[in-house]
Amino acid sequence: MPDPSHVGRRYVALGQVVSTDRVAAYAAAVSGADEIFSPGSVPPTFAAVYCLLPTLAEVFADSELGIELSGLIHVEQSFEWPVPVRAGDVVDAAAEVFSVEDKRGLTFVTLGLEATNQGGETVCRGRSLLLIRGDRR
Amino acid sequence: MSRPRREVQVGDELPPLARAVDQQQIDAYAEASGDRNPIHLDPDFARTVGLPGTIAHGLLDMAILAEAVGRWAGAYERVAELSCRFSKPLLPGETVTCTGRVVAVDPAAGTATVQLEAVSSRGERVLTNGRAVVRLAG
Repeated sequence: MPDPSHVGRRYVALGQVVSTDRVAAYAAAVSGADEIFSPGSVPPTFAAVYCLLPTLAEVFADSELGIELSGLIHVEQSFEWPVPVRAGDVVDAAAEVFSVEDKRGLTFVTLGLEATNQGGETVCRGRSLLLIRGDRR
Repeated sequence: MSRPRREVQVGDELPPLARAVDQQQIDAYAEASGDRNPIHLDPDFARTVGLPGTIAHGLLDMAILAEAVGRWAGAYERVAELSCRFSKPLLPGETVTCTGRVVAVDPAAGTATVQLEAVSSRGERVLTNGRAVVRLAG
């Protein structure tokens, strides 16, 4: 299980492609076949695809941290997009363990997220509050 | 489509967005996002962790909330910030309704802050503490 000694660990997922096809598939999965906005318009929560999920995959790969996908409950999420993400962007994503807190026997992990585009601009920052439901032995 | 301009005022309400979410849409979201956590896909697994069955991804609920904001703003690119708490699960077969109200306007920055929530057809508050910052059209 994660503990406060893991604060500061950083996980990166480089070269995440914001591909037009994946954006279109994501937008259709959310909104149906109707094209609400111009093609290539990136749904804000596509940040899950280019930032949160690929960095979480690196988090899961850290066996010392001991977090796995099926043991996660997503409690809160915030995102900001200082510069809009565009289809075709290639972004480097990073997640950092901001805090690990034990509350009434439950472990809460806060991850700080950041994604930078090919021009070095920050296209997304975020914060994920996760409840870890692992076995405690 | 409504396009907020600088005359957006505190108290303005966003057009509510209601969306029926079924297991097929949850499966499609899992595929499109790459989030294949079995609590969203496998009812038997979901029950082993105390859920009544599969639940929608919180990020799918949040994506629908973002759509409500984006429709009001006129473009997804105008959504500068979005946050929420995943308070209650949305179950397949339920309809989620997203609502919002302008709580602040900053003419200098050209932004509006919107308070948001999403409620399920069972009356559960699925998303709470919802907040967005929208760049207003000039």
